[in-house]
Amino acid sequence: MTSKTSTLPAVRPARPAGSRLTNVRSLAFILGALAIFAVGVFLTRAVENPFFFFASYIIIQYVALATGWNVLGGYAGYINFGAAAFYGVGAYTGALLLKAFDAPVLLCLPVAAAVGGVLGLLMGYMTLRVQGVYFAIATIALVVMAHTLVLNTDYLGGASGLALMPPEAPAWAGGQVQFLFLVMLGTAIFAVAVARWIEVSWVGRGFRALRASEEAAECAGVPTFRLKLAACAISGAILSMTGAPLVFYASFIEPETVFGLALALNAIAMPLIGGKKSWPGPVIGAILLGTVQQGATITISSELNILLVGVVLIAVVAVAPDGILGLLDRFKKGNRA
Amino acid sequence: MTISRRKFVQLASTAGLAVAAPAVWTQGQAQSRPLRVGASFSLTGPLSATKAGLVGLQIWRDDVNAAGGLLGRQVELVTYDDQSTVAQIPSIYSKLVDIDKVDVLISPYGAVLSAPVMPFIKQRGRFMVGMFALAGNDGVKSDRYFHSAPWGPDAKVNWARGFFEIGKANGCKRIAILNADVEFAKVSAAGGKAAAKELGQEVVFEQSYPPNTSDFSAILRNLRAATPDAVFVCSYPPDSSALVRGLSEVGVGDSVKLFGGGMVGPQYAANLQALGPALNGIVNFNLFVPEPTMVTPQVTSFLERYTAIAVPEKLDPLGFYIPPFYYVAGQLIAQAVKGAGSTDSAAMAAYLHANPTPTLVGNAQFNEMGDWTERRVLMTQFQGIKGNDIEQFRQPGRQVILDPSALKSGDLIQPFMKARAA
Repeated sequence: MTSKTSTLPAVRPARPAGSRLTNVRSLAFILGALAIFAVGVFLTRAVENPFFFFASYIIIQYVALATGWNVLGGYAGYINFGAAAFYGVGAYTGALLLKAFDAPVLLCLPVAAAVGGVLGLLMGYMTLRVQGVYFAIATIALVVMAHTLVLNTDYLGGASGLALMPPEAPAWAGGQVQFLFLVMLGTAIFAVAVARWIEVSWVGRGFRALRASEEAAECAGVPTFRLKLAACAISGAILSMTGAPLVFYASFIEPETVFGLALALNAIAMPLIGGKKSWPGPVIGAILLGTVQQGATITISSELNILLVGVVLIAVVAVAPDGILGLLDRFKKGNRA
Repeated sequence: MTISRRKFVQLASTAGLAVAAPAVWTQGQAQSRPLRVGASFSLTGPLSATKAGLVGLQIWRDDVNAAGGLLGRQVELVTYDDQSTVAQIPSIYSKLVDIDKVDVLISPYGAVLSAPVMPFIKQRGRFMVGMFALAGNDGVKSDRYFHSAPWGPDAKVNWARGFFEIGKANGCKRIAILNADVEFAKVSAAGGKAAAKELGQEVVFEQSYPPNTSDFSAILRNLRAATPDAVFVCSYPPDSSALVRGLSEVGVGDSVKLFGGGMVGPQYAANLQALGPALNGIVNFNLFVPEPTMVTPQVTSFLERYTAIAVPEKLDPLGFYIPPFYYVAGQLIAQAVKGAGSTDSAAMAAYLHANPTPTLVGNAQFNEMGDWTERRVLMTQFQGIKGNDIEQFRQPGRQVILDPSALKSGDLIQPFMKARAA
């Protein structure tokens, strides 16, 4: 039998240079996130026109949605068509809490995240034994189930939807829509922070191994099933949390919108446009596509706006199959060569 | 320093002019600025068939501008595509009010899309005309909201009451209710059940079905086994078509005297053309049909102008159901603005509450909820439909009005299966 640790050096090993760089980057990320939130607070004081906040809410919501989807679809490589199910469950959790307990939106967020996380875990447990297109189809079933459940629950308004008057926003926020803008901004920053943490931590390395080759990762001792469950739970929690403030924003919620295919497709299209491999990709894609959509709605104002979004999507996918970030990488490599 | 009287008068005049000029200029600008009417339309998405309403509103705008505008200002429409999606509505209406600075609002189409606007107009105290939102104001109870469609008071229960009253007059005691699992159909079915109970009728069969059901043979067989006297159906266009085709194949039995009531679909030209003679015998709701008791020179002129625009644009060529009521919405706005002498929301609302308003489809008088005080939902029976020519629906006698009695233009043919064969 060999001696235990006597051969190990007595002093703590020096931190590698890469770890220090990661810490510096993390600090910069935290400061950047705080700065963005501070800018958001400043905007609620500086911008008087409520339309800015109504439109920004939708765009920022897409940032959180795309980031949430990317945890499972981008990092782990499991394409999920069920984003609308998680979003809808989150939205209805918010509506239920508001209706039953007059709950404030800040309470609805963590509860919706917990519900979405558990739902993600259950979905993962039942569906992760299948891969590829079979997994994608299984996630569509989740949307149908959630939709049907809401349709047949009278307390949630069923097919008629639920109109609820949200409580007054805190006085410091400057108004209801300004407050919800800040809530969604905070939610999006939190989602991006989680995505970045995944990227730089051992969890992200595991996801990358999964995406590259699940069999090889399994053979190398990566706990693939547990990682996939974690991806489902984290993704589900973020998506549900994103839906929770909807009823406070629209004062109304109905199943056709929250479980709609358009939402699921947007959640997929945005990371594809921006790039799936790292956290800035979904953020870029969501801001780009969200802004184009909002702009198209109020400028072109016809069937052409849908066409425009489709054309943008096809063009980006054709020119940059790895998204905008992938395109930038290609340029960088080209310049170096 | 001394100032001569003449100099003082000159200075005072100049100062007064300098102070007053911006106000005069601003007022002049406001007078010459167009009066803006804002609305969202479902130009895309599942409700895009309703975009024909925009033509109705455009015809009203042209008419009112040709007559000199409102308060001396030309009327301008500001519209956006809501893509039939609730999530688009808050930002669109904020854009209309906060950026486009519209003077008057018209709601999106239907109760679902209107719901997010209701708290908004309540908070902002805005005047709005509601478009086809059944009981759309029941939640927020705004006193500045007015329906353009004559659903009548307590619309959730009463809008289809005419169907049950016809049933009672024809000895229908056993009622079957069949509805799609969607918003309008569920609300209507619940209202129908309440109306039946009030009229002493027994509901012997109740069934809801998933939207887009395409095969009704099993449901119709079960329904037949319940031997109802009347079948109240609340359906959406795709299932309305499937159900009518199912009727031709399976039938509903000889006991049934009345069939229909709340079917959405047979109001639109596309469905009328597709179903043709299969519609015979069905008694269904509508808001306008070209029967002698309803047609006026104004309506005829409107429909002729509408058709001239709609046919080349491939919109509903008949335009009986939605476009006239967008014209009515414009007329309500015009009357309110003229009556109030301004675009002040409170004054406009007060005027409409206090005064009956002549419209394309008759006089509108509103209660405190903005409902028409008198229900004017038609129950019509399809009779004598031959082939699939759409032009036949422009003729009287194809959709005979059975209720309300003031507009009655013919008699019910029953039992239902006999009416289908006629």
